[in-house]
Amino acid sequence: MQLRLTPLLWSLLALISVTVGTIPRLAAADPDFERVIAPLLAARCLECHTGSQAKGSLDLSTLAGTVKGGESGAAILSGKPDDSVLWKRVRDDEMPPKHPLADNEKLTIREWIAGGAQWSGGDIDRLRYTSVARAGYDWWSLQPVKDVSPPEFGDSAWSRNSIDAFIAKRLNESDLSPALAADPRTLIRRLCFDLTGLPPTPEVVAAFVADPTDEAYLKIVDSLLASPRYGERWARHWLDVVRFGESSGFERNDPRMNFWHFRDWVINALNADMPYDEFVRMQLIGDLLKPGPEGAASTGFLVAGVHNTVVGRSERMKKLARQDEFEEVIGAVGQTFLGLTVHCARCHDHKFDPIRQTEYYQLIASIAGMNYGERVERNPQDSQALERLNKEIAQVSKSLSEIDSAARAEILAARKQGTATPPAPPKPFAQWNFDGDLQDRVGTLHGRLVGTAKIEDGSLVVDGSSYVETAVVPVEMKEKTLEAWVQLDSLDQGGGAAISLETPNGGIFDAIVFAEREKNRWMAGSNGFARTAPFQGPDELEAAKRPVHVAIVYQADGTIIGYRDGQPYGVSIRTSGLQTYAAKQSRIVFGLRHSPAGGNKFLRGRIHKASLYNTALTPDAIAASAGTASDFVSEEEISKWLTPEKLKARQDVKAQIAALRTRHQQTESAANQKIYTMNPGTPTPIRFLTRGDIEMEGDLVSPGAVAAVPGVSADFGLTPDASDADRRRKLADWITSPRNPLFARVIVNRLWQYHFGNGFVTTASDFGFNGGQPSHPQLLDWLVGQFKAADFRLKPIHRLIVTSASYRQASTINTAAATRDADNRLLWRKSPRRLEAEAVRDATLSVAGKLNLSAGGPGFQDVSLVANNGTTYYAPIDVDGDSFFRRTIYRFSPRGGRSALLDTFDCPDPATAAPRRAVTTTPLQALSLLNNSFVLRMSRYFADRIAEESGDDQSKQIDRAWQLALARSPNEFERTASEQLVSEHGLAALCRGLFNVNEFVLVE
Amino acid sequence: MITSGQLNRRDLFEWGTQGLGATALLAMLRDDGLVRSAAAATDPAGWKTREPVARRAIHICLVGGMSHIDSFDYKPELKKFHGKSLTYDKQPDIFFGQVGLLRQNDWEFKPRGESGLMVSELFPRIAELADELCVLKSMVSNSANHTPALFVQNSGFESNGFPAMGSWLSYGLGSETNELPSYVVLPDGRGGPNGGATNWSNGFLPAQYQGVVFRGGDQPVRDLFPATALGASTDAATRQFINSINRQQLERAGYDPALAARIRSYELAARMQLSIPRVSDVSGETEQTQQAYGITEEQTADMGRRCLLGRRLLERGVRFVQLYSGGPIAGSPRASWDAHESVKDNHGIEAGRIDKPVAALLADLKQRGMLQDTLVLFTTEFGRTPFSQSGANNVGPGRDHNRYGFSCWLAGAGIKGGTAIGATDDVGWKATERPIPWHDFHATLLHQFGIDHERLTHYHNGIQRRLTNVHGDIVEECLA
Repeated sequence: MQLRLTPLLWSLLALISVTVGTIPRLAAADPDFERVIAPLLAARCLECHTGSQAKGSLDLSTLAGTVKGGESGAAILSGKPDDSVLWKRVRDDEMPPKHPLADNEKLTIREWIAGGAQWSGGDIDRLRYTSVARAGYDWWSLQPVKDVSPPEFGDSAWSRNSIDAFIAKRLNESDLSPALAADPRTLIRRLCFDLTGLPPTPEVVAAFVADPTDEAYLKIVDSLLASPRYGERWARHWLDVVRFGESSGFERNDPRMNFWHFRDWVINALNADMPYDEFVRMQLIGDLLKPGPEGAASTGFLVAGVHNTVVGRSERMKKLARQDEFEEVIGAVGQTFLGLTVHCARCHDHKFDPIRQTEYYQLIASIAGMNYGERVERNPQDSQALERLNKEIAQVSKSLSEIDSAARAEILAARKQGTATPPAPPKPFAQWNFDGDLQDRVGTLHGRLVGTAKIEDGSLVVDGSSYVETAVVPVEMKEKTLEAWVQLDSLDQGGGAAISLETPNGGIFDAIVFAEREKNRWMAGSNGFARTAPFQGPDELEAAKRPVHVAIVYQADGTIIGYRDGQPYGVSIRTSGLQTYAAKQSRIVFGLRHSPAGGNKFLRGRIHKASLYNTALTPDAIAASAGTASDFVSEEEISKWLTPEKLKARQDVKAQIAALRTRHQQTESAANQKIYTMNPGTPTPIRFLTRGDIEMEGDLVSPGAVAAVPGVSADFGLTPDASDADRRRKLADWITSPRNPLFARVIVNRLWQYHFGNGFVTTASDFGFNGGQPSHPQLLDWLVGQFKAADFRLKPIHRLIVTSASYRQASTINTAAATRDADNRLLWRKSPRRLEAEAVRDATLSVAGKLNLSAGGPGFQDVSLVANNGTTYYAPIDVDGDSFFRRTIYRFSPRGGRSALLDTFDCPDPATAAPRRAVTTTPLQALSLLNNSFVLRMSRYFADRIAEESGDDQSKQIDRAWQLALARSPNEFERTASEQLVSEHGLAALCRGLFNVNEFVLVE
Repeated sequence: MITSGQLNRRDLFEWGTQGLGATALLAMLRDDGLVRSAAAATDPAGWKTREPVARRAIHICLVGGMSHIDSFDYKPELKKFHGKSLTYDKQPDIFFGQVGLLRQNDWEFKPRGESGLMVSELFPRIAELADELCVLKSMVSNSANHTPALFVQNSGFESNGFPAMGSWLSYGLGSETNELPSYVVLPDGRGGPNGGATNWSNGFLPAQYQGVVFRGGDQPVRDLFPATALGASTDAATRQFINSINRQQLERAGYDPALAARIRSYELAARMQLSIPRVSDVSGETEQTQQAYGITEEQTADMGRRCLLGRRLLERGVRFVQLYSGGPIAGSPRASWDAHESVKDNHGIEAGRIDKPVAALLADLKQRGMLQDTLVLFTTEFGRTPFSQSGANNVGPGRDHNRYGFSCWLAGAGIKGGTAIGATDDVGWKATERPIPWHDFHATLLHQFGIDHERLTHYHNGIQRRLTNVHGDIVEECLA
């Protein structure tokens, strides 16, 4: 008997087999297991009935599980549907719950059981099949890119390149035809806004209208693509996609004053037409590819999103916050580069796409070494200059030490003979001996107990929950030495500090820390480990039995040297620069790594004595202070010992060194660039979390990717303890592989979207099930082929697109076409587009003659920053002046720091990514464009400009105003209306009016 | 009949006012963001589940954390335990971490109205309307920090970037008026709350669903009038010029919905310029009404004016009005309900500012017959601890944040008045009976508007986003 298929089942099957190939025929007695039964079970049953957590303990993904059955017994009795639980549940609409199977689906199941329930092909992989509810491995975007040739189609009179053959053929299939070419003025205005975000000058328009040839058009295209304005325009699109915002968001919303480096890097990369694969690699591993400012700027991508800087005090809250960070970042990585919403698989397998929960954890493991913060970077040539200065300093220092060591030998010899006085230890800036109180015996840094810390037997006792803080340091602290005699309660502790110099909120600190990152070892602690690296000193074995002397010296050049019991401890650390503390902006804490107190920051033990020096002590001085050497000779003693000639020579050398040091410092501060960016560190160990719950930790996960993406292995071949660099390198390789079909498709689709308003896929950052099917799959793949052939450069693709007839179409409405394809997805015309907020503002500035084209550097601020109790508030302020008339991409753009004008024109708050902007037309938008102080001001400037350029002739003035604002002359009606307005209310009124006519904000 | 590819203006007019054309034009205008109200009637998106009980809502949002045990959650046991220490299993997740001894309520409770609902003397005027209130005594929140707690109250998420409930409602139902925004925010005269505009952000929803702040003065809404004086006739002539140019183009182009929408947006803007000052000017209200709202007294003038303005906005079709009681958290003296130092002093002042106005609002809505389809929400981001914020052996005068149990109330549209839902433990520390997270609160809110909270979604970055995320159970107990 032949089964009759109803339309419903047909459509279901059609959906299932969208990319599988031919639609399977159902044989009554033996429905094909692999083609029919497995997809049906996968789509409708396996959401719940699979794996170890299967509902009712019934696993329908395996033959054994199906036969064994669950809590209600065997699911299937082969050949006996009426005795099979599976059939009964399905028949009675009990399963699947809420959405029972259609009659034909039921029948298919029944026939399959009746026919002996043939099971071929092994276990069913639930994620394999595309169904009505989800995408499988066979989803269109996960198929390799096809090698497509343009169709043999087209109207040679209309068509201009291969794009048009695809477009025309598809239109023809729907009985539609393309529109004629737009007139030259419309076309050139469209092109200018599209490629540069700015209106054309009347002169450019006039020239093209006079000579509207292909050659002239191509020339303009090339000049626009070569213009620095191109990068500024297209970087804005990219910044939307990558959720670029210049504050942290969340509660504190700290400003990121040094994040503009990333924005500039994007602009420059686009202007240079950096190949897209390199562009992406730089954003993932730029710090590895090009160490220095460029790499630091580009990897800002990873930390561009919101970041919670107020994490709870408990370990649980910290872990949760870290997991939230990973989700935010990997979400951006997946969507930006691959159109994969991998972050949706944090708590369960992806609901719509073939992404497993384990793969989510593999992916976050690949970025688990990332941290947020500012870094100081310098260019290689600057580093070389500093290196040269260092050498010079070393050279001159050598002659100093020659003088000194000779003198020292003489002095020591004299001491032996009793003719010289014994050594005096170096003089500290502050010193505490805890002899009954917390007074600073030298200066004013008197201490105060916090919590249960106490003074006992001449030492400070801290107990793991208490500490001492001192008065603020009255002077600036640059080079310095911290030292303490400390005995630990036990060696089994980590993270506490004996002494720490910190800013009062603890945001910046340098400290003598015990065992925070390596067990049993002393460490130079610093905020975010900014100046921390292992000393590689020996394990501490004695500090629990007796006080040990520990000192850390911070030299002017950024070098940090540790000492234990007067002897160098391990190796010295080179940092990018000395951390200085402004006068009255630092203090000392004992027993606490830094404020605010809590967590593992406390020390347990006794501090017998401690000192702070505002000099970098020499090894000799440290030894003297530690009391371990008796051959310390102070500088003072040497000076007294030397003959006048020798002393003079010594002073000259010292002056030379001082001069060199000053030069070094100046060079360094000029070379150092503070950049907010990703800071690589030791990766957080990633464990699988059942239901995403941090309290349900599973096995350690190795870095890896998503197996559903063909052509590139999701196995990175790394272990769970791989280095951060290895992880990110592998991730970058996986993403940017030319065999990864998503990589090029996603960016080509984005380009298309920004040129036409709609992408082939309308959800530009989601190529999964929710994104739906592309409008022109063949054209997309053909463009990908062109893109690869152009070495992943964007400009050739722009050129291809804007020179096509499809792009050059008029915007004329064809009502017949509109009724059939209202969204114009088939491109029967060029859809008109409202300018984005930034383009509205930039065009206004440009037309008014006020646009300041200075590029790069810190942004202009049209918001005030008010810090209140740790939270920063941004309020719009009214600004005027050249420095505020830069392009809008150079606006400092904190989260929540909105601008009335940009806001009403749908400029999104950068709190989340905006792969595609909303376009609204609202009364508030009209009010803003009419009344906003910026628009009124620009109207006056615009009027001044016209008066200056066109003299007193009103007719000329009006013509010029229309030309500048709308790239055309007014018609009779418009001229009369303009004349009337100008005569009665002045030029500025006309200018304001022109900024508000529909045509100004619209590109046809 | 449309025969040619081009339409003239008459065609457009006919096309636009008759039959299918009217629907299509409406849809286009709607897509362009202009008309939303008609959509509510037809519900093309299918997120309505039932006839709405509520048509509008007014939200009184207490910033800083109101003490439930001193207001709406009567705990007789607290008197007994006063000066004793609370035993707890886990270190409480409070803010300052100082756990003092238990402190009894600073205001006496009394049974009120016919229902006998217990309300303290902190709110003597609101207490007179106890029979209208449904107190949710078992609210719980995710966060004990002000900003994220405010965010989660407003948007269901602790971080920035998600639409506020007022935005969701506007998105789902549109506006009943074209002359006013559908979502209006009236911040405390002392300043905006923590997080500022993020609290009324449209998030990823289109811009027209953002809360619009109404301030006092000549410019109640930003950019309502020219930022610098232009002269009335110049302004009018310029706008006439804009209109004539746009209309002339529409005539030439024939059918062009985007252009039609823009022309209409300028017409609506002009209407807003008339209607916003008109609605903002409360001087036309009777003296009796002004007195009832407390506008004439210094202490209640700010909130009184805003409550009255709130009613006027609702009357004219605004969907969601949000009033804040409390400005920025930081600073001294405190300008919010954040009573760390002294509940008695702080809450005394704060309640004094709003008790009379809120009571007047409720009574006024009732008297005008509006209360039956106006939902009144009275919320705070979290409550306060039953123990004082002080040394471990003290009973200090202040209380710390408490996210484990606190009270909010609802009144009006379809809400069972004179009732209390859920319960906290004997001392008001943690919700024990029917804990109500914000997602449940939001689900209930939408339900009263006839909306299924699981169906009111908006696609964003791979997810059909909801106000209730993946949670939300309607608090059936509070429905009449």
